[in-house]
Amino acid sequence: MSEMSPEFIIVFTTTLVSGIGIILGTAIPAIVEGRAVLKALDGIIRQPEAADDIRTTLLISMALLESSSIYVLLVILILLFANPLVTQFLN
Amino acid sequence: MESITPQIIFYIFGIPISSTIISTWVAMALIITIVLLVSKSFPVALDMIGETLTSIVSGVMTNQDTDSYLPLLGSLAIFIAVSNSIGIIPILTAPTSDINTPIALSLVVFFSVHFYGIQKKGLTNYFKEVTSPIFLLPFEIIGQISRTLSLSLRLFGNIISGELITAIVFGLIPLIAPLPLIGLSLFIGILQAYVFTALSSLYIDLAVAAKN
Repeated sequence: MSEMSPEFIIVFTTTLVSGIGIILGTAIPAIVEGRAVLKALDGIIRQPEAADDIRTTLLISMALLESSSIYVLLVILILLFANPLVTQFLN
Repeated sequence: MESITPQIIFYIFGIPISSTIISTWVAMALIITIVLLVSKSFPVALDMIGETLTSIVSGVMTNQDTDSYLPLLGSLAIFIAVSNSIGIIPILTAPTSDINTPIALSLVVFFSVHFYGIQKKGLTNYFKEVTSPIFLLPFEIIGQISRTLSLSLRLFGNIISGELITAIVFGLIPLIAPLPLIGLSLFIGILQAYVFTALSSLYIDLAVAAKN
């Protein structure tokens, strides 16, 4: 393991962490959003006359829930495309 | 790395003109041209767009007078929808896939929220309501900053993820395979325009609504 260059270690670790992070960051919000949609469909079935209000609230709350996975995506995009660690440690 | 940061195309009097500005100009020219053409020949279409925007805004706002906020929110929705969809034209990139455009749009929303709140309630009254339980003031400030940040980052992240995924699939199989992803990113662009407008009107409604 002594022949690994520090650049290789940084890039390898970053790629590994990005892969694990994008799985967690998309799977957990997807599960939560699925539960929100399930509840909203339940409400629409019970009260079809309230469907418009439920749809508006559902879309807004799904956008708010989705923003956490977007944050994960942005962090991973920064790690992959504009990695600050490489320039910091390899100067 | 060149897919996230905008490229500088040329300089006008020393001011760098990036690709974002050019595609913003194209989006503005597209909106103006379509509106001028359609308003002569087929004005019912503009009425339909206006009705849709009115129903989006008034579906979120509980206020009675949504008409005074409709010019800002409607033009935000139209501009975001067009500039999200303009990325499918091959030479151009979507202006919202540069982080500066969503941050500028959400700063417009941030300042207009407080402007409408002050306009509706008066300066002292508005700040008295914002700081009404004084121990909740730090959370209020954090909430204001984070909602502005999340409004811009949500738009940016959705659009840049669509463009990146399309670019990656295009690099693998250039022929037919990116088409469903382009369709998905078009749908996501329209949906994000709706979400941005709905959240902006929700924030304005929260600032304007009377607290009891």
